[in-house]
Amino acid sequence: MQERDLCAAENRGARELGAEKLVGWDEVQQGVVLNSFEGDATGIVLKKAEERLYSDFNSYTATVASWRVQKPVFNIDVCIDCQNCWVWCPDSSIISRDKQMLGIDYDHCKGCEVCVQVCPTNPKSLLMFAEHTELDAALSQWPEKTKKEEK
Amino acid sequence: MIEIRWHSRAGQGAVTGAKGLGDVVSTTGKEVQAFALYGSAKRGAAMRAYNRIDDKQIINHEKFMLPDYVLVIDPALAFTDNITENDKEATKYIITTHLDKESLIKEIPALQERADRVFVVDCMQISLDTIGRAVPNAPMLGAFVKISGMFELDYFLESMKRVLSKFPQKIIDANMDAITRAYNEVK
Amino acid sequence: MAQKYDIKETEVWDGNYAASQALRQARVDVVAAYPITPSTPIVENYGNYVANGYVDGEFVMVESEHAAMSGCVGAAASGGRVATATSSQGFALMAEVLYQASGMRLPIVLTVVNRALASPLNVRGDHSDMYLGRDSGWIQIDAFNAEEAYDMTLCAFRIGEHLNVRLPVMVHQDGFITSHTAQNVHPLSDDDAYQFVGDYKGVDDMLDFSRPVTYGAQTEEDWHYEHKAKQHKALMDSRAVIDEIFEEYGKLTGRNYKRVESYMMEDAEVAIVALGTTVETCRVAAEELRAEGIKAGVVAPRCFRPFPFDNIREALKNVKAVACLDRSSPGGAMGALFNEVSAALYTTEARPLVTNFIYGLGGRDFSIKEAKRIFMEQKAHVDAGHITTPIQQFSGLRGPKLGFFETKRS
Ligand code: SF4
Ligand code: SF4
Repeated sequence: MQERDLCAAENRGARELGAEKLVGWDEVQQGVVLNSFEGDATGIVLKKAEERLYSDFNSYTATVASWRVQKPVFNIDVCIDCQNCWVWCPDSSIISRDKQMLGIDYDHCKGCEVCVQVCPTNPKSLLMFAEHTELDAALSQWPEKTKKEEK
Repeated sequence: MIEIRWHSRAGQGAVTGAKGLGDVVSTTGKEVQAFALYGSAKRGAAMRAYNRIDDKQIINHEKFMLPDYVLVIDPALAFTDNITENDKEATKYIITTHLDKESLIKEIPALQERADRVFVVDCMQISLDTIGRAVPNAPMLGAFVKISGMFELDYFLESMKRVLSKFPQKIIDANMDAITRAYNEVK
Repeated sequence: MAQKYDIKETEVWDGNYAASQALRQARVDVVAAYPITPSTPIVENYGNYVANGYVDGEFVMVESEHAAMSGCVGAAASGGRVATATSSQGFALMAEVLYQASGMRLPIVLTVVNRALASPLNVRGDHSDMYLGRDSGWIQIDAFNAEEAYDMTLCAFRIGEHLNVRLPVMVHQDGFITSHTAQNVHPLSDDDAYQFVGDYKGVDDMLDFSRPVTYGAQTEEDWHYEHKAKQHKALMDSRAVIDEIFEEYGKLTGRNYKRVESYMMEDAEVAIVALGTTVETCRVAAEELRAEGIKAGVVAPRCFRPFPFDNIREALKNVKAVACLDRSSPGGAMGALFNEVSAALYTTEARPLVTNFIYGLGGRDFSIKEAKRIFMEQKAHVDAGHITTPIQQFSGLRGPKLGFFETKRS
C-alpha cells in the first residue's frame, strides 16, 4: 500500500519547522547563506530524494505534518496513475516513481485537498479524512463508484 | 494584571478571538492588550496570541509573559507546542480536543501534574457543527467565559453581538451557538 | 458628503487601524500606495473607507513604493491633502522621492510602521527604516502605542500643513508591537477630529490655473545650497509649531505630548533614552526599580526630526548616567541616538556618562528584566565614577558578549 519507507519521518530525522538549534552571532553562517546538502552535492540530481543528504536547513528535513486538520488518503486500487495529483500538489507531497503514484509524503502535506479535487477517477483515488483516522479504517469506508444521473 | 496565551495556527482565528475578548473586556472599563506572535506567518503555521487585562493602562510591550490562562485552540498543538512554557502554579489550561480529559492528560506528560487545572472542550467539532467551518476561536471564548468566571454568559453574548455587528445575522447566530455550547460543554 | 463613522468613546484598536481612522477623519484626498507588511492595513482600510463612502478620497494603486511616493508628490503639488503608509524595503524604495517631497515642501503624511531592513529578510519591527529617513528633511514623530499612532497622525497634518512649516511628516510606530497590538484607544468623533485638523490650505497648487507653477526645477550650485538652508531652517523652526499644536491637542483630549517625553526624571540619577514601545516597557522597569530605591527615569524623543537638541539637554541635565538604546544596526558607528544625545549632553555642564546599547533588531523581544539590567549597569557606572563596560554593547544577543570602545582615562 503506502510506501512507508519513503514517507517515514524517522528516515530523515524530520523535525518541526522552527526547531533549529539557536546559535550565537559567532556561529551563524556569514551572509545568511544556507547550504542545501551536507558535503559534496555533485551529481545529486541523479539521486532519489530519499538517498540525498539534505542539510538541516533544507525544508525537506522539516515537517509540517501538524499543520493539517484533515489528511488525504490514497487508494491504490482505484488509481490510474494519471499523475494529476503529482502535477497539482502545491507542496510536492505526492510521491511518484517511474510514473507510478506511490503515496503521500505526510511530513510535508499540509492537507489542502487540491490533490483530491483534481483526481479524475470514480470513485476518487484520493479522499480527505480527519487527521486521526487510521489508514485502514479510511480505506474500508471508501465509497462506491457513483452512477451517472438519468437524463 | 491577567495574562492569557492562545496557542493556535494561523487562520484559526486566535487573533480575532483575542481581539474580540479585548473588545468585550474594554466595555467593562478595563484596559486590554491583544497581540500575536506569528511563526512563519503562513496559514497553518503554529502561532501564539496574547491578551493582557488590567485596571490601569498597560504600557508593558514585552512579548514575554507568565500566563494565567493558556487557551489551546488547535488539537495537535497540545502535543507539539510547549504549552506549559513559563506557566505559574495556578495557570489554567483550556484545550480543544476530541479526547476526554483523562485520555488527553495521559498522552501529555507535562499536564499530569497540572491535571486539576486542565479543562477540555472540542472547539473543532463545535465550530463545525455550529458555524460549519473549523474556526475554533468563538467556542474557546465560551469555554474561557465559563472557566474564568470573568463575565456572565449573557453579558458576554450581548457584547459579542455588538463586536460582530458587521456580519450577517446567520453568522452572528452561529457564533452565539458556538459560544454557548462550549460554555456548557467545557469540562 | 462622506458618511460618518460610528465611533465609541473607548475602542480597542491596533496601531494600524488607529492610523487609518486618523487618515479618514482628516479627510485625506489622495492615498497612493503600494502596501507592504506590517503597514498594509493602514492603506487597505483607507481603500475600504473610500469604497464604502466613509471618505471622499481617491485610492491610487501604483506599481511600487517609488511610484507610491511619486504619486503622493504629484497629488500634493496639485493641491490635495495626501497620505500613504509603508515599511522597511518599501520605505527604502521610497527614499529617493522622500527627498523630492521635502525639497518641494509638500506636507505629505507618511505613516511608517517600523520594520527591519533585509538582508536577512524579516517582517518584524526595528528602527532601521526610521533611521534611514533621518536626513531626508521630513519631520519624524514617534508613537509609542496605538492611541499615540492615532493622535500623532492627526497632529501630523496640522504640523506639516502649517504655513510656517510646509514640510512632509512621518509618523512612526513599531511594527507588530504597536501596529498589530490592539489596545484601548480613545478617539475623537469625526467632527471633532476634522475640526482640529481643519481644511487644507493650498500653497502654490499646480491646479490653481490663475497662477501656473513649475515644480521640480534644477538649480546647480548657484541655488541649491540656499534652498537647502531655507528648508533646514523651516525644519528647525517647526519645533515651536509642534509645541503649539501638541498643546492644542492636549486641551482637546487631555493627552499632553511633548517633543521630548520625560518620565520620572525629576530626581533621576540614571536614565534610559529610547524610542517606540521600548519607552513604555522601560517605564515599567523604572517604576519597579524605584520601589527598590533606584532613581531611574526614562527620556524619549517623541520628535526624532527635528532632533530636540535643546529639550534633550534639559531633560537630562541632572542625571549621572544615560544609556541610549538604538534599535537599528549602526553599520560601523555608534547608534544614532547615542551620537545625537551625546552631542547634546557634551554642551552641558554635567556631562553625564553615556553608553550605547544596540537591541531588539529584527523584532527581538525587549523585556522589562533587560531594561532593569541596563538601568543597574548605569548605576554601577555612577558608583564607580566612570563607565565600567564597553561604550557600545549589544543587548539580548545570543553568543559571546559583543562590545566596542572603552573610556580613555589616561
Ligand atoms: S492535500 Fe494538498 S499538500 Fe497534501 S498531498 Fe494533497 S495537494 Fe499535496
Ligand atoms: S490524480 Fe488520482 S488517479 Fe491520478 S495519479 Fe493521482 S491518485 Fe492516481
